[in-house]
Amino acid sequence: MPIEIIEDVVRNTVTRITRKDISQFTRTTTFKDLEADSLDIVQILVALEDHFDIEVVDEELESITNMGDFIDYINRKVAEKTARSA
Amino acid sequence: MLEGKVALVTGGSRGIGRAIALELANEGADVIINYLRHRTAAQNTAEEIRQKGRQAHIIRANVGEPDKIESMFAEIADKFGHLDILVNNAASGVARKAMDLDERGWAWTMDINARAFLLCAQRAVRLMEGRGGKIVAISSLGSRLVMPVYTAVGVSKAALEALTRYLAIELAPYGIAVNAIAAAAVQTEALNVYKFNEKLSKTWQTTSAGRMVQPEDIAKLVAFLCRDESFMIRGQTIIIDGGFSIAPLIT
Repeated sequence: MPIEIIEDVVRNTVTRITRKDISQFTRTTTFKDLEADSLDIVQILVALEDHFDIEVVDEELESITNMGDFIDYINRKVAEKTARSA
Repeated sequence: MLEGKVALVTGGSRGIGRAIALELANEGADVIINYLRHRTAAQNTAEEIRQKGRQAHIIRANVGEPDKIESMFAEIADKFGHLDILVNNAASGVARKAMDLDERGWAWTMDINARAFLLCAQRAVRLMEGRGGKIVAISSLGSRLVMPVYTAVGVSKAALEALTRYLAIELAPYGIAVNAIAAAAVQTEALNVYKFNEKLSKTWQTTSAGRMVQPEDIAKLVAFLCRDESFMIRGQTIIIDGGFSIAPLIT
């Protein structure tokens, strides 16, 4: 799956759940910038896991600092899933 | 003693739910494990059940969403055709004081912890028709004791316990027994939300029984409530807390 599509889904999901305008989302934006609380983050993870049929490992998120890292992480998980099912 | 029974454990991949799923399998039941986020954990629990010689099936579903509950029970009907045991264990919630709660956090907590119990029970009963069954809901002492930042969860558990009583009477004519279990703090990852509060953590670590409640303690009580020996227990919330609720200051 092209990373552009993944980025699009992540952007739409994150801004919908945090109730922010899509223009506020860039690769350097942080969850803190978006004022995301713990419920927002859980709902974002559930939505992305549902959409891409992946499993996000909470401990692996600890090194993520911004949306660019987050998109890359989701992209990696989607690629791993694709490789497993190939 | 539960040979041939089919059980659904919501939130059955980790912690208390995992222990319940394994204990029901120990007693001979085939187990359906519902989970939301931790697929690997659900798969591992299912594999442990298969190693006990029982069937295991995992279903991902957010029980906070009615359409996901509907899909989950459709899958159970399709795969197993019936259900004998429902363990309503899945729980979530925002950790905030009452004055800091917003509508989203309230709805998220109530939908998963209380509404899901009603919707799962309604659908489970259809799969228990003509054969009877057991329904066990997992509550917590926060339904009656005030605990820090536990407002939404505590209220949702109080609703769950009240619903247990109504269901027990309404479903008795159908041969379905409904009960709940309220535990004190249980030694699971979920307790990490309180790790900032050293005093609280220490309070919970000691009970008159000499230790914290373990997931296996709850699992064995669930198994008892699913066996025929518990036939006359109806609509009760059984406390399992090592004596904490009657003597919180004596350890």
